[in-house]
Amino acid sequence: MLSALVVVPLIGALIVGFFPGVLSPALSRLITIVFAAISLILTIVVGAAFDLTHVGFQMEEFLPWLPDLGLNYRVAIDGLSFPLVALTNLLTLLLAFNSSVGLKPGTELQRPRLFYSLMLLVNSGVVGAFVAQNLILFFLFYEVELIPFYLLIVIWGSDKREYAATKFLIYTALSGILILAGFLAMNWLTGAASFDYGAINTTDLSRSTQLVLLALLLIGFGIKTPLVPLHSWLPDAYVESSAPVSIMLGGILSKLGTYGIIRFAVGLFPETWVSVAPVMATIAAITVIYGSFCAIAQHDIKRMVAYSSIGHMGYIILGTAALTPLSMIGVISQMVAHGLILALLFYLVGIVESKVGTRELESLNGLLNPIRGLPMTAALLILAAMASAGIPGMVGFISEFMVFQGSFPTFPVQTLVAILGTALTAVYFVILLNRTCFGKLDSSSAYYPRVTRTEYIPAFVLTIVIIFLGIQPAWLVRWSQVTSDAIAFVF
Amino acid sequence: MTQTLTPPSTKIPPSTHPLAEVIHRLEAGGTMLPDTPENLMQIIGLYKAYAVPMDFYWRDLLYIAEQVFLDPLPWNKYLISEEYLDRENHYSGDNADLRIWRGCGDAHPELREFMAQGELKKNLPRILHHLWHDRINMEFAEECMRSMLWHRDMYKPWNQFDGFLDTDEYKQNCDRAIKAYFKGNPAMLGLYKLFPDLFYEQCRQMSYYSNLGLFWEVMAPVFFEMSDLYDEGKMTSVPAAMDFLVNGIFAIAGRPIYHHVYIKGECFEIIPKSKGFTWLYEAALPYVEAVFYRTSPFRGTKSYNAQAKQVPDNQPEFHFGVLYADKFPVGTAGIPPTFLAQDMLHFLPEYLVEYYKQHCRGEDDMLVQLAVSFQRSMYCVTSAVIQALRAALLYPLDDEDPEHLMANRQFFEAQMDRFLRPEARIRDIQTQEYR
Repeated sequence: MLSALVVVPLIGALIVGFFPGVLSPALSRLITIVFAAISLILTIVVGAAFDLTHVGFQMEEFLPWLPDLGLNYRVAIDGLSFPLVALTNLLTLLLAFNSSVGLKPGTELQRPRLFYSLMLLVNSGVVGAFVAQNLILFFLFYEVELIPFYLLIVIWGSDKREYAATKFLIYTALSGILILAGFLAMNWLTGAASFDYGAINTTDLSRSTQLVLLALLLIGFGIKTPLVPLHSWLPDAYVESSAPVSIMLGGILSKLGTYGIIRFAVGLFPETWVSVAPVMATIAAITVIYGSFCAIAQHDIKRMVAYSSIGHMGYIILGTAALTPLSMIGVISQMVAHGLILALLFYLVGIVESKVGTRELESLNGLLNPIRGLPMTAALLILAAMASAGIPGMVGFISEFMVFQGSFPTFPVQTLVAILGTALTAVYFVILLNRTCFGKLDSSSAYYPRVTRTEYIPAFVLTIVIIFLGIQPAWLVRWSQVTSDAIAFVF
Repeated sequence: MTQTLTPPSTKIPPSTHPLAEVIHRLEAGGTMLPDTPENLMQIIGLYKAYAVPMDFYWRDLLYIAEQVFLDPLPWNKYLISEEYLDRENHYSGDNADLRIWRGCGDAHPELREFMAQGELKKNLPRILHHLWHDRINMEFAEECMRSMLWHRDMYKPWNQFDGFLDTDEYKQNCDRAIKAYFKGNPAMLGLYKLFPDLFYEQCRQMSYYSNLGLFWEVMAPVFFEMSDLYDEGKMTSVPAAMDFLVNGIFAIAGRPIYHHVYIKGECFEIIPKSKGFTWLYEAALPYVEAVFYRTSPFRGTKSYNAQAKQVPDNQPEFHFGVLYADKFPVGTAGIPPTFLAQDMLHFLPEYLVEYYKQHCRGEDDMLVQLAVSFQRSMYCVTSAVIQALRAALLYPLDDEDPEHLMANRQFFEAQMDRFLRPEARIRDIQTQEYR
């Protein structure tokens, strides 16, 4: 079943990309939607079969590959990976439904077959990384993302796409090299018979060796997350990408970084992690504040959302550093919440850009105007901003609350600084909303096209999920409670 | 099809005014609005849509001025009596003493149908339509009236109506009417004794109700006739529309402006016809000045900061009128345009509805599109007023004397100076893209 989650989108990617014959854009989109829908349905089936009380991995599937080299195809799922798989498949389906978001009215998605194929390939790779139980298998899936994302940025991006794509490529390639070096070193130094997660035991290694290995992983995954000061690829990549690719980057790819930190840095180096946790908590607090202040300074709303993303990833690292049961539930919830909210924000920014033709704060105003503005888009933007700022009733609140509540006993100062970040989130989103949604619509330029119902559907779905999980957070935390307890009690 | 204009005179050099193009058009007998079939269709369609609610406005304004008068709780002032709906217009119908429109003299059939059924298209008691806000919005008309009342001293010394409101004669007339109106009401009479100026001010307001009602009594049949001529193919250009207005203005310029109050069947002449106040100087000019140019900062969501000089110190410099108003109701200036737009929406001719459907957001933003058309049509009306003033005070456009032509030029340039403000929409209406 888990393999199907990896294989189905891969088959879809191959069909859309290499089908010998003409596939119209509409048919390519339909095929993508079908495969993405199947993946989501399979995720629901997995969820139905998921044992909430089971500690550790479940639904394991194993296939010997190169046993002599310790390489096996081993996949399984737990409370950390399942919510992220579900998030990935949900976002992929929504993006397949409307990949034209952000395009100028009247223009069509260029090279749709390649785009949809790459999108499904990314989906397959990310899900594979989340369910992989072998270090090298994880690494392969992790690296599979590199080229598709490079192409997605460089082909469908905006003016500075080449610069952004190259920067992304260099940073993530470096990230991959560091992670691979760490994985190989772990295997060699521990003398493990295979690269399976269960076969790696680092506790016998010296503390300094552990520190070096942990540093490799932290820098590698810290680039992907990203953490300050390893973040500089992110604003360019997010901003220069088309809206769907920004959503994939922020909603899907960035989770691989935090997932890797939890799975490998915490999971494989529990004692050393605790010793570096104060540093990580401090970096997390700096990330929160830095991301927030940078967001406040922006004039481009997409760049503002991008920096907002950096700030919010800091909460995840803070909770992970604290490593308490509550903070870990908050961390996993925050990863999902961040993915949903960021996807909604980027999606709405894409709509605004496509209809208004600009993302500049100075040029945007009065979008709530009921007659010629984009009132529904603006209303959803307000709601997304509220969710991002952690307003109660939405999923952002409950996850951030759990992170702060769980982290405060361990790192009170860093937590308070991070809480200050939530206030700053409110500041930059109030700036964004005040300038874009309110004020007087410029009568000389306000001839914006209508937003169609099709364009709204992904935004509505994300909004409903954000509100539903905010009102009923048990539906979010129930999947990861046992796993997060286990991670927290590892030490 | 457009009318060929007289070319601008070559006897004087071209204007160097920033709005020289418009000035040259005015000198050629044109309007501030470019002469295009699209503009013509918009302004005539809007005149028709405006005329129907205007037919209600003038009747209700006179009803309030003459019948409701100083009622301290005038809850029924918008529930006009049948008598006023049947009242014959002096300028249309068989009984008109100066017939402008060939149609009926009582309330327009479309108006009667709307008043009976409203938007709901249901024959409910009128009070229910009213409470549901399914009605003609008199608030717009009252705002225009208040604007005229507030911006006093306009067009002195030609406008003598305003000055008369402060005379002892006017107060004596008011005194008789007030005492008759509140006869048997010691509380109100006692209040009148204590605060007479309060009552006089209310009377002045009522006089402006009458003033505006009498002004619109003329304009409604003018607009109906223009619409009919357009439908018959006899109104073929924007200058022709303006000429019709100019001719109409001169034809009815001398019609009386007065204020009569009817109390228990007795007529009290607060402003008698014998005072000689006329339609052009005492109503039309102050109306255009107050409503088209000045009004007041709209009480919308945008705050005008007087201390930051966003509101001029002097009332004559106010620039919040229709010709300056933002087409969006939020944060705009001028008369609240939403009420009027809503009123006109019910009576748009079919060709205009079809036109709006083809642009911007079609039916969804028709209120904004028609507000822009209204602005274009009011630029045409203002052009008529400017040309009428020029004709009355200065020289013909085809005058042979360069000094006279230069005097005309200076007059036009002075008029255009008022549109140099960035808020003025004159530059916008030069293209069809402004919708």
